[in-house]
Amino acid sequence: MKFNRLCLAVAILGLGLAPVVATAHKESDSYLTLRTDPTNDHVLQGRWDIALRDLAFVLPIDANHNGGITWGEVKAHRGAIERYALSSLTIKGDGLTCATHPTGQKISHHTDGAYNVLFFKAVCDKVIPSKLTIVYGLFRDVDPYHRGIVTIHAKGETSGAVLGPHNAVTTLNIRDPNRWRQFKTFVMDGIWHIWTGMDHLLFIISLLLPAVLIRRRKDDGDNWPGGGLLAGGGGTMTMARARVHYYWAAVPTWWPAFIDVIKVISAFTLSHSVTVTLAVLGIVSVPSRLVESAIALSVIAAAANNLYPIVRQRVWLIAFAFGFVHGLGFASALSGLQLPPLSMAASLGGFNIGVELGQEAIVLGVMPIAFLLRYTRFYRVWVLRWGSLLIVLIASLWLFQRAFGIPVPGVGAILPG
Amino acid sequence: MKAAAPRRALRGAGLLFCACLGGVAWAGAPTTPYVPESAAVVLQHVPASTDPRVRRFQRVKNSFRQHPNDLGRALKLARAYVGYARSTGNARFLGRALGVVDPWMQQDPAPIRALLLHATILQSRHHFKAARNELRKILERDPENAQAWLTLATVAMVQGDYSLANDACVHLAAVGGNFMGIACTATLRSLTGRAEQAWRLFSLIKHPGPEAPDAIHAWIHGLMADTARRLGKVEAADAHYRKALQWTPGDNFLLAAYADFLLDQNRPEEVIELVREYTDSDTSFLRLVFAEAALGSPKAGRDIREMAARFAAMDRRHTHVYRREQARFVLYLLHDPERALRLAKKNWTVQRAPKDMRIFLAAALAAGKPAAAKPVLEVLAESHLQDPPVNRLARKVKAAPGESTALAEREGAQK
Repeated sequence: MKFNRLCLAVAILGLGLAPVVATAHKESDSYLTLRTDPTNDHVLQGRWDIALRDLAFVLPIDANHNGGITWGEVKAHRGAIERYALSSLTIKGDGLTCATHPTGQKISHHTDGAYNVLFFKAVCDKVIPSKLTIVYGLFRDVDPYHRGIVTIHAKGETSGAVLGPHNAVTTLNIRDPNRWRQFKTFVMDGIWHIWTGMDHLLFIISLLLPAVLIRRRKDDGDNWPGGGLLAGGGGTMTMARARVHYYWAAVPTWWPAFIDVIKVISAFTLSHSVTVTLAVLGIVSVPSRLVESAIALSVIAAAANNLYPIVRQRVWLIAFAFGFVHGLGFASALSGLQLPPLSMAASLGGFNIGVELGQEAIVLGVMPIAFLLRYTRFYRVWVLRWGSLLIVLIASLWLFQRAFGIPVPGVGAILPG
Repeated sequence: MKAAAPRRALRGAGLLFCACLGGVAWAGAPTTPYVPESAAVVLQHVPASTDPRVRRFQRVKNSFRQHPNDLGRALKLARAYVGYARSTGNARFLGRALGVVDPWMQQDPAPIRALLLHATILQSRHHFKAARNELRKILERDPENAQAWLTLATVAMVQGDYSLANDACVHLAAVGGNFMGIACTATLRSLTGRAEQAWRLFSLIKHPGPEAPDAIHAWIHGLMADTARRLGKVEAADAHYRKALQWTPGDNFLLAAYADFLLDQNRPEEVIELVREYTDSDTSFLRLVFAEAALGSPKAGRDIREMAARFAAMDRRHTHVYRREQARFVLYLLHDPERALRLAKKNWTVQRAPKDMRIFLAAALAAGKPAAAKPVLEVLAESHLQDPPVNRLARKVKAAPGESTALAEREGAQK
């Protein structure tokens, strides 16, 4: 009996006719261990053992292709290994992603060969995690039979999971939430959020700048010509009679100005608290591109109002109206936050209070200086006029960049993120 | 494909695994992390580009990368991975093959060629039920698919479903030609008490001609060796195992089968000689450990610990492909018949080949619970398998006192 060509095609895959076709090695595994850090509640210490033979399949670690991977070759690819591995792993504390930072590289041996040990820490800066979530995606595309064997040590307790493409997520409650500490954490987070958010900051400053000045009609007379004419094109007095002219006059005393500022800030806090809460609870969801563009627009509006005032008396209305938009922006920092209702209330409350405190600090920093400078031409022309113009310019670039998704060179340096 | 190329390739694999053994061997539990002393320390051997199969992977892989939507190229790569996984026993390449075909499995309906390869991977992973379902779906859409009939016959035989296997063999003969039909039916007869017939049928096809790939030659010799062993033709079995291994040196499946034969023949020195270069493979390493234990070798203790660690690593990832092997290890080397019986029972729910029967019977006897092996006796009563070690153990189980008395009485009554 001869083997013919027809059989050949059949036989290529048909070698399984022998009783059992067992493959005889263990499949690909990695071993991921996470340990809570006794010295810092926000940090998890990670150790991740990944087989060199698996890494060599996706990264050119065996640079000389001689079939032998040396320690020198592994060391040389440390950065690539860390990027490849950590980009496939998401660690969340109470729903918020914790940033991972590699901290070391060693070697270990398991039954099926040498492993690269990647040490890292996961920093959950926004929360002290009470619920830990691990989303595992290593080698998801290249080897669906790969498994991540995860062990978590938290507060003296150990738990584990085997994760793979069809079972990529595990969740573990690692400690009872300490609500007071969590509250404080969120207060701090709120403060930092306002201090490091250039767009929120410029919005508030735009609203603060004119607080030490009063809009006066030209025919009110009494303070003229003490200050430079700002609105209507700088100092010109040759306007037609029918047009009403305004100029900026310094407020005579501190308290009325200060109360105006408090109104502005409180209105802003009130409205952004509403949308922060609605967005974090998932009740409201607006695409971030829209929110970010609207925030840029709000900054333009606030600053432009200093140049061509439309809202003159009740500046807090601007703050209130645009506060809703800024709230949606703040919420992006907390999107995904998952906590039991009481903790959620404490955390959101803390965050909003933090934002408020951050604003008050800015007010306390800016207001006295503005008050002292209020009679000077420097303040009215350079700070108020040109400052507002600069803010309009910056915010316009943001708007362009955010609305059309086109990066404008240099803007990244001004606005982080 | 020319016959010479794969032969060279497999020789390359042999060299590759020699190299692996020379470099890194590690016993037992995972080590604590350390920083190697020098940058020149070789930590791990991986398939080198001196291996012609690896060079072929690279070629096929590059061509697939350039045309990632081309199913033909994807299948070529996946088949290369599956072939490598089978011949070396390196299960990682099964997962990699799956990764290549996975995108096509998401299509509805998935292309038949992709499904077929997927079913083959499932079968290799001992997901027999899932493989069977997929093969049935393929055959509904394409009843003339010889490859699918062949794989279905294989799965059915492993599961002890001989009527389905017979059906598949008949269809295979109709659509796949005489050679495949005879090979299929002879294999089935060898498992169902007609080993003499099987032997004569294999004799008809034992020279498949120069066009046949090496793997086909090896396959037929392997089947003949197994049949000869069943008929008690020890020398013929030995000769066929050796011939098979000449065609595909280092083939993981053949090494395990021949090593088991040698262990049964009480020739442990030859086992060590046979598998010493392939201890990366868990199945080959297990045979080495059995041989060392049989010889009372001083290495046995350490290697038993390493084998236990390898099984423990598989347990951790919830892989249970090797329960039969694990049951043998637990019974004969860890001397824990209770646990071996539990493993053999679980294994029986997945596969029912003669070797599965053998460990089940042996574990039941050793645990003093011969009645537990009743399912094996039921299958044997229907299939009339001739297999000296299995038949011997089955007789013992039937004759065992105590729990088996009721069974024996009932069987007596039936006669």
